[in-house]
Amino acid sequence: MAFDWSFVQRYAPFFVNGTLMTIFISVFGILLAIAVGLICAGIEIARIPVARQIVRVYIELSRNTPLLVQLYFLYFGLPKLGVVWSAQTCAIVGLGFLGGSYMAEAMRGGLESVPNVQRETAYVLGLTPLQSITRVVLPQAISTAVPGLVANVIFLFKESSVVSAIALADVMYMAKDLIGMYYSTYESLFMLIVAYLVILLPISIFGTWLERRFDYARR
Amino acid sequence: MTEQTQPNAVNSEAIAAFETSGPSAVSDCKGFEVKHLVKQYANADKPVLDDISFKVEHGTVLVVLGPSGSGKSTLLRTLAGLEPIQGGTISINEKVIDEGKPGTEKAGRSNRSSELRTRIGMVFQSYDLFPNKTVLGNITMAPVLVQKRDKAEVEAEALKLLERVGLADRKNAWPHELSGGQRQRVAICRALILHPEVLLLDEITAALDPEMVREVLDVVLELAKAGQTMLIVTHEMQFARAIADHVILLDGGHIVEESHDAHAFFAHPQTERAQQFLRTFEFE
Amino acid sequence: MHGAEILLQPGVFPRLLQGLWVTVWIAGVSVGVSIPVGLLVGWLMTLKNPVVRAIMRVYLDFIRIMPQLALLFLAYYGFARWFDWNLDATGACVLVFILWGGAELGDLVRGALQSIPKAQYESSYVLGLSPWQTFSRVILPQAVRRLLPASVNLATRIVKTTSLAVLLGVVEVIKVGQQIIDANRFQFPTGTLWIYGAIFFMYFIVCWPLSIVARRLEKRWSHD
Repeated sequence: MAFDWSFVQRYAPFFVNGTLMTIFISVFGILLAIAVGLICAGIEIARIPVARQIVRVYIELSRNTPLLVQLYFLYFGLPKLGVVWSAQTCAIVGLGFLGGSYMAEAMRGGLESVPNVQRETAYVLGLTPLQSITRVVLPQAISTAVPGLVANVIFLFKESSVVSAIALADVMYMAKDLIGMYYSTYESLFMLIVAYLVILLPISIFGTWLERRFDYARR
Repeated sequence: MTEQTQPNAVNSEAIAAFETSGPSAVSDCKGFEVKHLVKQYANADKPVLDDISFKVEHGTVLVVLGPSGSGKSTLLRTLAGLEPIQGGTISINEKVIDEGKPGTEKAGRSNRSSELRTRIGMVFQSYDLFPNKTVLGNITMAPVLVQKRDKAEVEAEALKLLERVGLADRKNAWPHELSGGQRQRVAICRALILHPEVLLLDEITAALDPEMVREVLDVVLELAKAGQTMLIVTHEMQFARAIADHVILLDGGHIVEESHDAHAFFAHPQTERAQQFLRTFEFE
Repeated sequence: MHGAEILLQPGVFPRLLQGLWVTVWIAGVSVGVSIPVGLLVGWLMTLKNPVVRAIMRVYLDFIRIMPQLALLFLAYYGFARWFDWNLDATGACVLVFILWGGAELGDLVRGALQSIPKAQYESSYVLGLSPWQTFSRVILPQAVRRLLPASVNLATRIVKTTSLAVLLGVVEVIKVGQQIIDANRFQFPTGTLWIYGAIFFMYFIVCWPLSIVARRLEKRWSHD
């Protein structure tokens, strides 16, 4: 069977909607992940007792279990405890739970990569602790953390494809649906690939630009 | 641009002298003094620095020698306030700026004020320029932020300092674009612009390629001629001999020999330990 | 809370473990085959030939930018039609994981090979070692040290991604869990929570030791 362009034209709007859903879920999931990551990295750097141990346990659990199982637990399991969330909420919370640990590790890695002599120099020059952090430590930490953070953003956009498993109508779900209904394998897979390229290529290019922008050793 | 905008009359002396290359007057009460300093780390059975006392007269250069592990670097770090001291005092012009307190073995840094910290400059062995700032940004940050000086005035002085060390054309370069020797010269400018009463140099040429050592040491020699008070830890014996007004040899956390006649010290060391130490630099 | 008893029903735990075995088997075979594929891909990536380079570039970039689930769909639905190749769901999973693992590992191999200083090759040459001796005795041991921690991490990622096999209909641990939930719907209405909780920890128990090993290796070898 040949490639059917009219099918693509007819069903392209479905993929546009699916793409918007993927972007919506991913963006909010990533924002949540960044917030969780900031809090966790802060707790680890400040060495707050007890909270620090909890953060460690969370990071290990989050990094060593698949998103699909996390989502099934949230979507099918939690209602049995009386916690009923919509598929969208589950998807965003799931991405935030998964991504939070990755973001935390990237941020902590950035902060720890700043050599001690930088803090010491800031001290000897008379900078206050706040000035030392905002003017010396953070700019360098961000420069080291940016590549990791960008990789995490791309990773989470890709992982968001899994939310189709809890009946959220993202791009993945659209493709599966159309293949199932019309046996339109070529056309659906083609649109699936195009949709992900449209979403991820700009992010990937922007990420590379951002990395260069923050790389003091190259700009 | 003239120097009358410089705010601190006492401190600006060294810089003014640096720029005119003339020696400055030495007065008795001025200088940098350490009395009975003790540095003890937690979980260590004996102190790293035990009862160290010396005075660096204003406008003179003290060279601290010693084998590795003798406590030289730790001494400089305590003087800069990077490590709290457990006994003794550190004073500038007879004013105590740090007093040893037992029970601070685990503490991170001394609790010196920002203002006090600017009065002691330090250059480290490893390149410590801020990679996120240009050469000019590195030099002007602290005077503007800490001393609240006028940005234009600070920049003008920074340019003058850069010119002195032969790097005026690199003012907008990033640290990674500079050679090791150039970075250390910028680090010296960054310390000098605060007009410190004393400048601490911790093996600043140890990480450099041999051909870059000279360009950095020349700057330091010129500073000494201009009357900048300095305390230098170095392994360059020729340089030490040329620059020192006053030498101490540190070993095992103690001063084993002290001399106010550097030439005599290098020619005829008094103690056996000093003779043995100096022999390790000879090849016959 | 007595729903937890579902886990103690006869046959439930053994069945879940059987499902877990399928998961581990798919991941294990994929990782095992990925290693030689990755070494080959890594070597190809270091070649100067522009055609080979371009092909490897497109291969790596495509694999990297596509979600794994999309790749699984491509293999499962697409290959069957394009090549008339009747790949079953398990086969599609293994194939995708090998292509994915091979690409990622290949990039690691390339990085490791290129990070070895030229002086290592030159001193081997001066010492009279043959090219093969240089590679096997000098270069490879150093490359492996740079390679291994990231490879173990990749294995953890492959194990986690194996969970997606259920979406193609492979009967692995999640599918078995769903069957158990369905069979006990009336007897244990809260069974869902416990079964998915149990699967969550089963994955954790498989992946966590791998993460620890990767971290240890990284710490031990990062100071060389």
